[in-house]
Amino acid sequence: MTRAWFTACLLLALTITGTSSNAAGATKAASGPDAVLGIWVPDAAPRQLLTVERKPPPLNAAAAKLYAARKRQFAAGDRSYDPTTWCAGPGMPRAMTMPVAFEIRRDGNHLAFIHGWYRWFRAVDLGGPDVNDPPLPLTMGFPVGRWEGDTLVIRTVGLTDATVMDANGLPHSDLLVLTERLRVLPDGRLEDRMTVEDPDTFTRPWETMLTFHRDATARVPDDVCPDRLAAGEPAEPPVATRREAAPPPPAIQAVPSAAPAPRLTGIWEPKTFGFMVTGAPLSKAGQEIVDRNAAAMAGGRIMQTAWVSCRPGAVSTMTMPREKIVILQSPDEITLLFEMPRMVRRIRMNAIHPAKLKPGYVGDSVGRWEGGTLVVDTIGFNGFAELDARGQPTSPQLHTVERFTPAADGSIDIEVTITDPEYYEQPFTIKRSWKKSASRHPFEYDCMENPRQEDFENAYYVRERYRPVCMRVEGEGMTLSKMVCGKPEE
Amino acid sequence: MDVGSGRRLLLIAVFATLLARVSTAHHSTAEFDYTKQVTIKGVVKEVQWTNPHSFIQLMVDGSGDEKVQWSVEIGSPSLNVNMGWRKNSVKAGDVVTMELSPARNGKPYGTLRVLTFADGQQLNGVAARVRGPAPAPPKEP
Repeated sequence: MTRAWFTACLLLALTITGTSSNAAGATKAASGPDAVLGIWVPDAAPRQLLTVERKPPPLNAAAAKLYAARKRQFAAGDRSYDPTTWCAGPGMPRAMTMPVAFEIRRDGNHLAFIHGWYRWFRAVDLGGPDVNDPPLPLTMGFPVGRWEGDTLVIRTVGLTDATVMDANGLPHSDLLVLTERLRVLPDGRLEDRMTVEDPDTFTRPWETMLTFHRDATARVPDDVCPDRLAAGEPAEPPVATRREAAPPPPAIQAVPSAAPAPRLTGIWEPKTFGFMVTGAPLSKAGQEIVDRNAAAMAGGRIMQTAWVSCRPGAVSTMTMPREKIVILQSPDEITLLFEMPRMVRRIRMNAIHPAKLKPGYVGDSVGRWEGGTLVVDTIGFNGFAELDARGQPTSPQLHTVERFTPAADGSIDIEVTITDPEYYEQPFTIKRSWKKSASRHPFEYDCMENPRQEDFENAYYVRERYRPVCMRVEGEGMTLSKMVCGKPEE
Repeated sequence: MDVGSGRRLLLIAVFATLLARVSTAHHSTAEFDYTKQVTIKGVVKEVQWTNPHSFIQLMVDGSGDEKVQWSVEIGSPSLNVNMGWRKNSVKAGDVVTMELSPARNGKPYGTLRVLTFADGQQLNGVAARVRGPAPAPPKEP
């Protein structure tokens, strides 16, 4: 079990092949500011954050009392103070203390941290002024970055106090201002030196430091935390160990096209929220499932799909996207960061699918430009995804072809052709459209944050995998609610 | 009930029926009866600013000394922010009145249409999308 997760990491390799000066996430050592780009593995992944002087952080009296109580909880085997234990968002700097690799990619003024834990990402705005009045504290906050020479400085505000700063439960308030200074050290490691300012929690600002190294075998896979809980494994995987190199997926060299490819870079949002796929040519087997779902809903039961159980497949981003989508583009990869459903999709350009694919939720996507249209071909799905709110099913035979075409009005027109002979008589095509967003940051959708007991009392599970392990139980009287995790039901 | 409000209720019922077949941000709306309206007043015990849905736990006077704890879905963080809420808009200890559509299962559970503070200020909840928002305050003459 302990190595299973990392084996999955290796097999689910999402490699960037080739680099360019503007290529987000170069895997080869780069110089200048872009040296921070690429995949990084934590040196230590500490349970407890200390100051750079290796001292305990300067907590005020109330926060020290809370931290001590959490340490006692931990000693008693109760880690419910840490939302990651039920797969909710880690927050910052907790995300950087986890024992998983992350990748930094950049496209112009859009920079992204793609964390290897449960699809979390941070979209850093490199172009704008600091955010000082966040609309609502979020898990990953509102990061704004700038370059000071070769040092990447990121200031983040709007970090919710629902998260903890380290695995031991170091508290913080919504007032936390986290300033990170990231640079590559002479020995090739990445240093993230953080200044913590939070007058509600600490008696003075303090600094901590984390370091990371490159590892040619490291990958940032699609990680789906609820599946670990369902398998009886901890939400946070064990610390990484050295491992054999995984072969990169096959690629072909980019062919220079006659015309430059359109730029899709930026933050987008769907023009409308389409939650239904109409007119799908369901096969008999597909119709039976849809009829069964409809009967359950008509009986007042709450349908639990992959989307509702917080493990949506990439096909959900095609049929039911909502909220913001960040696109980073380079000649070798187009990266799509979806706010809702939260997901990172990596499209390897001018590449071919590997001969052997381990099925997954996001599948394997390869892309090419056909004139002004980006064509994305995706296979390797695991069959755990429904097309829409009626629960129209998919199987591992699912094959999608998306065609993204910039339109004259500045939007992107999208055609998705869906083929799945197990549940649909013939291929069919749906249309969607995205427009440019005025937002500097995506908002955030932390699907696993609050699995309320009520949602599961009259549930209809489309697939057994969708049963929850943790749920929030309301306290009697003035006792506050708490998360309760149990063994998965048979 | 006048004719106008009856027609509105009919429209609401039709819209709610349509919505009940589909989904909001996360789950089906079928668990709530949007044709019904319940008004409760009490003290806020806990605010859960959380995905997929945000909740307020409200302690409401029951029979005798007994308090009844209501769970009221108010929306989701992104939705509520777009409707004008902020994290400290409602705090534990606040006395509020909530008009909501109740759960079909008869439990003290519902989805918020409008929350009214003691001073008359109001915030719309997610059910305002189905039942309509609170009426705008009268304009100054």
